[in-house]
Amino acid sequence: MSDQPPIPRPEQIPLPPAPGQRRIVLPPHRQRSRRPRSVRIREWVRKNLFPSRNGTLLTLVAGAILAGILVGVAYFVFVSANWEVITHNRWLLFAGGFPQGEAWRLWVSIAIVFTLIGTAYGTWSSMGRRDHLFVALVGAFVIFLMAHGGAAAWSTIYFLIAVACLYGGYLFTVRLPRETSTLRTWQQRIVGGLLALSLPIVLVILLFGGEVGPRHIDGFVLNLILAPVGIVGGIVLGIPLAMGRASSMKTISWTCTAYIEIVRGAPLLGWLFVALFILDDIIGGDLIIRAMVVMAVFTGAYMAEYIRGALQALPRGQYEAAQAVGLTQTQRTRLIIMPQALRISIPPMVGQAISIWKDTTLVSVILPLRELKGNADSAIAQFEFTPDRIEAYVFVSVIFWIVAFMMSRISQRVERAQGIGER
Amino acid sequence: MSQQPSTSLPPPDLVPLIYQRGFRRLLQQGAYVGVTALLAWYVYDALNLRDFGFGFLDDPAAFKVANQWITDIDGVTNNRITMYLVGVWSSIRVIFVAILLSTLVGVVVGVARLSSNWLVARLAMLYVEVFRNTPLLMQVVLVYAIFLVGAPIIQDVAVIGDFAFISNRGLAIPWPVPDAGWWGVPDWFVGVWVALLIAIAAAAMAVRRQRQNIERDTGQPQFANRWAFGIFAVGALVSFIALGLPVSIDRPIVEGTRYLEGIVIRPEFAALTIGLTLYTGAFNAEIVRGSIQALPRGQTEAANAVGLSAYQRMTLIILPQALRQMIPSITNQYLNVNKNSSLAYAVLYDDLFRVAGIIQNKAGHALEMFFVIIVTYMLISFLISVVMNFINARVTRVGV
Repeated sequence: MSDQPPIPRPEQIPLPPAPGQRRIVLPPHRQRSRRPRSVRIREWVRKNLFPSRNGTLLTLVAGAILAGILVGVAYFVFVSANWEVITHNRWLLFAGGFPQGEAWRLWVSIAIVFTLIGTAYGTWSSMGRRDHLFVALVGAFVIFLMAHGGAAAWSTIYFLIAVACLYGGYLFTVRLPRETSTLRTWQQRIVGGLLALSLPIVLVILLFGGEVGPRHIDGFVLNLILAPVGIVGGIVLGIPLAMGRASSMKTISWTCTAYIEIVRGAPLLGWLFVALFILDDIIGGDLIIRAMVVMAVFTGAYMAEYIRGALQALPRGQYEAAQAVGLTQTQRTRLIIMPQALRISIPPMVGQAISIWKDTTLVSVILPLRELKGNADSAIAQFEFTPDRIEAYVFVSVIFWIVAFMMSRISQRVERAQGIGER
Repeated sequence: MSQQPSTSLPPPDLVPLIYQRGFRRLLQQGAYVGVTALLAWYVYDALNLRDFGFGFLDDPAAFKVANQWITDIDGVTNNRITMYLVGVWSSIRVIFVAILLSTLVGVVVGVARLSSNWLVARLAMLYVEVFRNTPLLMQVVLVYAIFLVGAPIIQDVAVIGDFAFISNRGLAIPWPVPDAGWWGVPDWFVGVWVALLIAIAAAAMAVRRQRQNIERDTGQPQFANRWAFGIFAVGALVSFIALGLPVSIDRPIVEGTRYLEGIVIRPEFAALTIGLTLYTGAFNAEIVRGSIQALPRGQTEAANAVGLSAYQRMTLIILPQALRQMIPSITNQYLNVNKNSSLAYAVLYDDLFRVAGIIQNKAGHALEMFFVIIVTYMLISFLISVVMNFINARVTRVGV
């Protein structure tokens, strides 16, 4: 009985290697068990840190630099810096001249936007361990900020509610089935539509009724409003501009080319100069509205160039096939060309979005509008905080870094989900 | 005689005009031009161009700009356009230095990101992620703030090795200036020496090329670079002595609250240049990394197979090929440096944008000033593009 080889059960029979995939199976006497963890760690360290004499030297130098940076940053953050300039001016930095009595408008907007972000994330992606960690870290940072300097407990609670909205939206949608179905299509349409509508909704909540006007939008809230306005306005302007530039009608392509090249010829500061001194005569309105128009006009030219690049990258066969099946010009553009072109141009457009997010700081350089950096300057201008210039600027930089880093991560996620860059 | 198929289109003259392609295009363009013209007329009307003109640029400036290199301009007698040109020159200096340094940073960090050394690769990644995702404005003002808070005031200036000073007025370092020398030559005579140096350099390059050709044909090592460098060094020294030492080194001195002699790297200039360098360097590093990764893996393997060292592999095989791919994107970054140099406004460095702002502040004429600004930026962009296209043509030319 024992000398008979056991009959293998079906799952024990090794599968043949998939085509194109090489799989080497060693004979039993050559097979080795996995080496212990400590050995593997030692080998990794030797291979990646101390491979040779020069490699060791390089590691030591890099380690010294890294240690120096870490020690310096830790010393600055925990010992030498006086963070009171931030905690004392929390509201000034966050919303500046926004009336405190109307703060509920901000909280409701934040809750709505967080819910939508969570819903979108649940619809098209899923959160990994790193994402949870990121949310936890940022949340801890914000709560830490609010817990110091005698903040009211309600602001912490409202923030926690907003985070709960984020997770609520996420958990609600992430469980829905992902297979292509009518339901899924409708889910995507509803979430996408709500995302597109979120900016007007938020603007209505912020500005409609009450005593809040555009000039009250101030501080970090101004950055948070200006950047989406620039991005959405830029895409809305960029699509017709790109199509116009690619048009075969000379008058249209020339004027669109002229627009794009002139706008790209001057720096954003130059266009804000226009908003301040020249646009007043043309469109008038609040300075903040003019700044928004300039942001959209400026971004539009760059977005147009990216979309045009995508239009040119589309294979000619797509145009010809669309023509061959008898679609009209509008149908061709709407159904065949634009969906593909927009999909290709997502990565550079996200890059431009991040760039616009960072460029919202420029508003306070020449305009009498004060966004986060401008309000940091007013915080330093207070007598007791004049020596704390570096602390204020470091804080502002960190805030901008957090949002920009989040945007770049989401764009990587979108690229992977859409399979862009893989063929 | 073939029969006419029944589904054929009627001849063009029977199609109603409105369905003819050419006519429709004409109609569309006509409508488009009409709307555009209406818009343009509205803007023209709103701008109210009664006193449009550039005559105000010829009036006396009545303000000062700081520029180390152009000292014979006092801002009282000089007109506004002269002051503006001083600002342009300041901008070009920043742009030039920032482009050079950011390229250097980009290549070093880009290569470091691909290092097999884990720590080095992580350090490079940290640099890129930090500086790419923070606003350039914050980097510039932060460097400026560190300079102002960290550096001592001029009364207790820090002395570095007896020849350089550092304070919140800037870093003062020695600088070569024209000198009468042994034979009492005038200042412009230094130009003769510079011309001579250029001629010697050309000769050295010719020798280098010749020796490289010999090496290529015979396979015998000819040490072309060493020869070229030797010829240039000896030629420079001999001509310098023969012309009677027409250049001397000016050491900076501190007098009261001012620096005299030498040259001063002012905090505004340093902040702007360092900020631009760090920010653009991070983007350049990503471009360098991308173009190296785009190379086929066989290039590295082949270089290893013929026994090149890691340094030789990088400088002789990988970077020259990656260069072809990276130049278009890097050119874009250089154009961004040009436009981003306008951030000088935030640290009160007198670049062209700030000088234009001052002129506008004093004289009005915002539209004209904006016109001048945009034309200047476009000209500088054009210059950068021309240079980069020339380099691109050189690099992509495959020698056989």
